[in-house]
Amino acid sequence: MSQPPAQVIGMGTVLDHVRTPQEVLRPHVVEFRNVTKTYNAGKADEFTAIRDVTFVVEDVVEKGEFICVLGPSGCGKSTILRSIAGLEPQHPATSGEVLVLGQPVVGPGSDRGMVFQDYTSFDHRTVLENVTFGLECLHMPRKPRDELGREWIHKMGLNVGTDAHKYPHELSGGMRQRVAIARTLILKPRIILMDEPFGALDPLTRLNMQDLLVKLWKEVQATVFFITHSIEEAVFLGDRVYLMSNSPGTILEELKIEPATSSANEMQRQPKFLEAVYYIRDKITKLESNQ
Amino acid sequence: MNSSFLDRLLRNWLTLRKPVSRLQAVGLGVACILLCLTGWWLITHGANESRLVGPLTLPSPAETFSKFSELWNDFALTRNVLVTLRRVSIGFALALMVGIPIGVTAGCFPRVHAFLSPLIMIGRNVPLAAVLPLMIFIFGAGEKNKVMFIFVASVAFVISDAARAIMDVSARYIDTAYTLGASRWQTISKVLVPLAAPTIFSACRQMFGLAFGYIMLAESIKIADEVGGLGYQIQIFQRRGFREHIYLIILVIPMVALVIDQVLAWIQRQLFPHMHGGDGMLRSLVRITLIPWESLKSLVFYRTPVSLSSAATEERLK
Ligand SMILES: Nc1ncnc2c1ncn2[C@@H]1O[C@H](COP(=O)(O)OP(=O)(O)OP(=O)(O)O)[C@@H](O)[C@H]1O
Ligand SMILES: [Mg+2]
Repeated sequence: MSQPPAQVIGMGTVLDHVRTPQEVLRPHVVEFRNVTKTYNAGKADEFTAIRDVTFVVEDVVEKGEFICVLGPSGCGKSTILRSIAGLEPQHPATSGEVLVLGQPVVGPGSDRGMVFQDYTSFDHRTVLENVTFGLECLHMPRKPRDELGREWIHKMGLNVGTDAHKYPHELSGGMRQRVAIARTLILKPRIILMDEPFGALDPLTRLNMQDLLVKLWKEVQATVFFITHSIEEAVFLGDRVYLMSNSPGTILEELKIEPATSSANEMQRQPKFLEAVYYIRDKITKLESNQ
Repeated sequence: MNSSFLDRLLRNWLTLRKPVSRLQAVGLGVACILLCLTGWWLITHGANESRLVGPLTLPSPAETFSKFSELWNDFALTRNVLVTLRRVSIGFALALMVGIPIGVTAGCFPRVHAFLSPLIMIGRNVPLAAVLPLMIFIFGAGEKNKVMFIFVASVAFVISDAARAIMDVSARYIDTAYTLGASRWQTISKVLVPLAAPTIFSACRQMFGLAFGYIMLAESIKIADEVGGLGYQIQIFQRRGFREHIYLIILVIPMVALVIDQVLAWIQRQLFPHMHGGDGMLRSLVRITLIPWESLKSLVFYRTPVSLSSAATEERLK
């Protein structure tokens, strides 16, 4: 398979077209084949959010890829993510196929963990009970379950002694997202779907969370889909960035990004990092003005 | 200096929605009671002819409270309060046992809700004055008709409130539970019901107050033998012209209601610490009693999932 001619921009390499399932030979984790989603099909307020979306994410052995999705507001990012998760009403797609590990998605499951933008901690459960929710659903016995839960609370940078028995309303926004991430990662999903998980956090907390996420992602070896509005965040975290165009949304460009070599704060000062960021920013600005 | 004190006082008292200390709240309540008693005394003091309000309309406080021992001893106040409470508790407990599972089901499955909605509609709008004679026809004299009256009067409200509470739980919690691997039943039992429970509890706490009022209606109808209960007592006092006793009962009922409401509020705090800031004693108790059941399920159902076993990680690393 010959690689298409590509354009190198700073840390990024812009592929000349978005790869299709046919041209990637390695096993596929996620593939979209001509997926279209029309909301309220057949009614007066029918609306096509994404049209003819085709892309493929390959199974990178030993680590899994970190995919970031960027695009103007309302272009269908959440629609794509929720289709992979198998959540209604985005699932099922109006036409086309959504495949995960070669199988059509039939509904939600813990093999595709999801972290949402708004706080979805279960308010009636303590931090520990939130983190171990998925294990409880598997009927894991209480003792190993709580042990594993404490381990993950610690890994997320929360204090096992003081925070484990707090209720979500006693936590800050950043702490809640840590709980949400721990609750997902503890199940070791093959695919992690994150829909603007840091959108509501202040810039500094955000940088810390990015570093933490990179560290943990290496440990769980999953394929991550990460939606964000922050281009810096996408370039820092992503192995690959998908740029989406406006409604009906479709994937416009695929970029391959060099892996980051230092912390989020330091990376963001490097010229080649900024070059990639500016390229993407210009693209998105153009997309939004064409709207 | 004087004016600054006045300023402070005014600012303190007129700040919008400023929380009051517990002591002050109780003090203000007592002040209100004293004010009412004083007013009552003022309009009823003096010789019978010189009173602002005649003794036949309103007896004086002294006259009223002097009858308390008679009400307590000769008319067995405690026993009658308990009889009334027993009826309303049984009827209401029945309504909860039937109404909450149906309501939760209706809240989870819109088709069930659509199917039941005509019945709920009728139940919520049924005229109580018509239910009472019907219950007597069906269940005869005795306790049953009163218990069933409370059941019929409240069950439709319990169902619709429970359904509403479940439907009001944001869909994102369902999405979250599903992506964490919860089954439909687990989503209902571990997410929807616990999240809706505080709302259902508050609604039922209010409804119990109403039911306590309804029961007097049912008790005021004497069919065969003596029925007892506060409503029945009021009926007797009315026939005998015992104004003082009726006024006393009117004062006793809110006190009983207050005690019950405080007990329910305590339960609420212990059951839902995340909502009402209690220390969650009852919640812990519930969880502890569930442990054996949970362990049993672990024994039967738990298989280390492939993704969590260390073998799987090694497999992927090969
Ligand atoms: N349930 C729905 N019913 C009807 N239309 C919907 C629904 N969900 C999304 N849409 C529409 O589909 C389009 C894409 O929505 P989506 O949520 O996928 O966008 P997005 O890229 O995630 O936007 P944002 O960045 O603002 O989160 C939007 O224009 C939205 O109005
Ligand atoms: Mg979105």
